Amino acid sequence: MTASKDKEVIVVGRDPMPAVLHLGAGESLHLTLIVPEGTSCEKALEIHLDGPGASLDLAGAWRCTSSERVRLQVIVRHNAPGCHSEQLFKGVVSGSAKAEFDGLVYVAPGAMKTVAHQQAHSLLLSEGAFCEARPQLEIYADDVECSHGATTGYLNPEELFYMRSRGIPEAEARAMQVEAFLAPVLNRTV
Amino acid sequence: MNDILLEIKDLHAGIEGREILKGVNLTIRRGEVHAVMGPNGAGKSTLSAVLAGRADYTVTAGSATYCGRDLLALPPEERSWAGIFLSFQYPVEIPGVSITNFMKAAIGARRKAQGLPELKPAEFLKLLKDKMALVQMKGEFAKREVNVGFSGGEKKRNEIFQMAMLEPTLSILDETDSGLDVDALRIVADGVNRLRTPESATIVITHYQRLLEYIVPDVVHVLKDGRIVRTGGRELVDLIENQGYDGIEG
Repeated sequence: MTASKDKEVIVVGRDPMPAVLHLGAGESLHLTLIVPEGTSCEKALEIHLDGPGASLDLAGAWRCTSSERVRLQVIVRHNAPGCHSEQLFKGVVSGSAKAEFDGLVYVAPGAMKTVAHQQAHSLLLSEGAFCEARPQLEIYADDVECSHGATTGYLNPEELFYMRSRGIPEAEARAMQVEAFLAPVLNRTV
Repeated sequence: MNDILLEIKDLHAGIEGREILKGVNLTIRRGEVHAVMGPNGAGKSTLSAVLAGRADYTVTAGSATYCGRDLLALPPEERSWAGIFLSFQYPVEIPGVSITNFMKAAIGARRKAQGLPELKPAEFLKLLKDKMALVQMKGEFAKREVNVGFSGGEKKRNEIFQMAMLEPTLSILDETDSGLDVDALRIVADGVNRLRTPESATIVITHYQRLLEYIVPDVVHVLKDGRIVRTGGRELVDLIENQGYDGIEG
């Protein structure tokens, strides 16, 4: 796969997944990773922003509903000045599934004016399910704008009651909440 | 036709082991507007929560019969299908779900429960537009996420919009006037009044008399410390206005 302005989608288990990608000066990549229901995987992806002004817009979603094991490791390396990376990961875990996400943003010495944001959010739907997100920042340059955030949430009972009080059955209300949670990532693929 | 819509008898209910309603009796007939007034902490919101079926409230004694059915045995969605609507004091934000999809799911589930065919997209859109006009909501409103970033007035108008969509038989308006400026209050009240039918009834739960100038009640109840201590006509509203709740006893 070569870096391009096109929007790329990789469905894990269906499409080949590259191990390392390089973006040259001014190149951009819009990539979405999807781990569908029923897919167990252990994948690592490393993306290098090698040329000045390269930009990456990366998102991923996983939905584990039974006994899947998902482990995703993403490393984004800012090797040149003035590069921009945005990352958004969202996972829904239920049943006895286990999902782990490691995300490292590395900013090399000299990669000034780097902008890097990373978000990883999980929705945990059953007591037997497990999820963990480990975001990391390693910054060796000055004058950069970097942030990361990780949350684990549960379905909001207030939302659920509100929807049910309007006649939406409980199962459908839950499904709508899950869909809404994943929408920011899944909408990129349509 | 039996004109009694809702009959509440000796209702005791509470939350986390604390009894809040201590024997409420209330009979609502079709075509009527009832006001339930009371000071903070009297149990007004508990009454609306129990009628709508909030799981965190426990009914410890008494009954509520709606159209001959045991209301308290029904899950919230079935209460909605049976024609009960609660306008929330604090409408809930549902990020990622548009008003259109929310209403499509609500109308679709109810029609399915009633054995009616799905509305055609064009029919649904027309319904949506007609009901939005009722509360003066503009075109882009339907695309917005439910209550996300809405002002206080918009949230309450959204409640009345949903009420209009669902055409309830029994509407419970829980502190619908809180947080409304006078223009929004007028729009909301006007919407409620236009939705009145001889078959349906409305319970207006409120602390203040303000909303009752716009939605005029047939019967007024004063709820204090978990009991209805006084029932009367519109004159009770003026009495509360002049004397406060302290002056009202059973």
